[in-house]
Amino acid sequence: MEEQLRKIDRDYGFNLSDEEVQTIARRAAEFESLFHCLYEVDLSDTAPLLKLDKRP
Amino acid sequence: MAVDAAAATISELAPLLRRKKISPVELIQNYLEKAKRFNPHLNAYITLTEDQALADAARAEREIHQGQYRGPLHGIPFSIKDNLSTAGIRTTAGSKILADWVPDFDASAVQRLKDAGAILLGKTNMHEWALGGTTINPFYGTTHNPWNLDYIAGGSSGGSAAAVAAELCLASIGTDSAQSVRNPASMCGIVGLKPTYGRVSQYGTVAGTGAYSTNHTGILTRTVEDCAVVLQAIAGHDPKDPLSANAPVPNFSISVGKPVRGIKVGILRGYFDEFIAQEVAANFSQAVAAFNSLGMETEEVTTPHLGLIPAIKVCTSRVENAAAHDPYLRTKAHEYSKATLHSYISALLTPAATYVMAQRARRIVCDEFDDLLKRVQLLILPTIGFPVPTIEQCQEGYVEFDGRKLPRQDARGGLESLCCIPFNVTGLPAISVCCGFSKSGMPIGLLIVAGSFQEPLLFQAAYAYERESEWHQRRPTLPV
Repeated sequence: MEEQLRKIDRDYGFNLSDEEVQTIARRAAEFESLFHCLYEVDLSDTAPLLKLDKRP
Repeated sequence: MAVDAAAATISELAPLLRRKKISPVELIQNYLEKAKRFNPHLNAYITLTEDQALADAARAEREIHQGQYRGPLHGIPFSIKDNLSTAGIRTTAGSKILADWVPDFDASAVQRLKDAGAILLGKTNMHEWALGGTTINPFYGTTHNPWNLDYIAGGSSGGSAAAVAAELCLASIGTDSAQSVRNPASMCGIVGLKPTYGRVSQYGTVAGTGAYSTNHTGILTRTVEDCAVVLQAIAGHDPKDPLSANAPVPNFSISVGKPVRGIKVGILRGYFDEFIAQEVAANFSQAVAAFNSLGMETEEVTTPHLGLIPAIKVCTSRVENAAAHDPYLRTKAHEYSKATLHSYISALLTPAATYVMAQRARRIVCDEFDDLLKRVQLLILPTIGFPVPTIEQCQEGYVEFDGRKLPRQDARGGLESLCCIPFNVTGLPAISVCCGFSKSGMPIGLLIVAGSFQEPLLFQAAYAYERESEWHQRRPTLPV
């Protein structure tokens, strides 16, 4: 995660400190953990919802 | 003319304006005076548009005197969250980056209100880039809750809610990507509507102040009846917004006052239950009892994949928001607050495949809610699980209730958003109305949800409850 983040830092020119890199990487890891449940549900026949095209 | 402060709803003032019993100019002067007097305490407005408002009021007065009455919003003072574009008026999005941005066009919702004769008093404070639920803004200051200045007004449309609750305007337009209309409405004891996704145009909402697929233009008013009047003016298809729905717009006010006996209501249970404080639960139970006494039939319900919602919401919103911010992240990163910048950067680390998985799971969740809403017509739950936190608690990053001290925010977002986000994921219409007060004297909100484009049913039930409970008649005491 930190390696990816350092690449983004270079690409965008953020000039993040080491402490910021660690903080952001830790947050990203927490999100990764939250998103894990999305891979545990059977989505085999489910297309992504690309627009909330609501109809009455 | 003496404007009766006790008659300060649109529905009460509109007939007086139509019959020329009160003057739009005097009404606007009255509201501007209140805004100038109390805004230093509340910080609800970022910008007051006094000169333009007075000019517009003079025009409204001329039109009404010439028999050109436009309808129930003619001469009515309103405000706009500072992430909806306003021609000739700076639109900051609560950000430093847009501190000096003056659009040359109006957002469609603003334009429609102006066409209806409503008069813009100013632009309201908000959370930086609408990315949070406190309206503790590092650039424009903190908005204070009119019920107690030590407490937050909620967010991200905190300035709008504080302005309406303190009667510094009669209606406000906000945006809601997770909670941002309903949360501050709940915390300030007023009505907050997030309509069906697509019901109201989002054209002119500043990009990056809410995710493309979860954001909604919403309404804050003091009463349900007023909310219906405002929705009437701003609802409907907008060719400028490809995400707006080409759905018929019914007469919303007709449903206000209709009997509610026999309406089936589901009490929604789910992952948010563990964050519902005892006193909120007690107020909610009383609201359920009121629904039953009105003849509605309640039962507990849930959906099989409800627990996926925080992951779906956080993933879609974060990725879509980060994409919208890409140009600024490359050129003006130093102009974000650290917390906001870090949030967007961490979103850049989310794999594209995860975003697609979230949108696939989202379809399942939406289908399950559609099925549930064939069995019951409405859903109810608390708008926020715990009483309004203080500004100090939020600054220190925690909330406290029932002897528990919890981080206010975790990977799922702000804890205060957990009851609201299912309806950003599904796009279902949801309205928050006041259902009581905490021991600390702060308002508590009840969230009522209906099927897609069923806003009339929402107004019908919300109005019946509002009249039964009469919580809407309480008003905050403002600092002298």
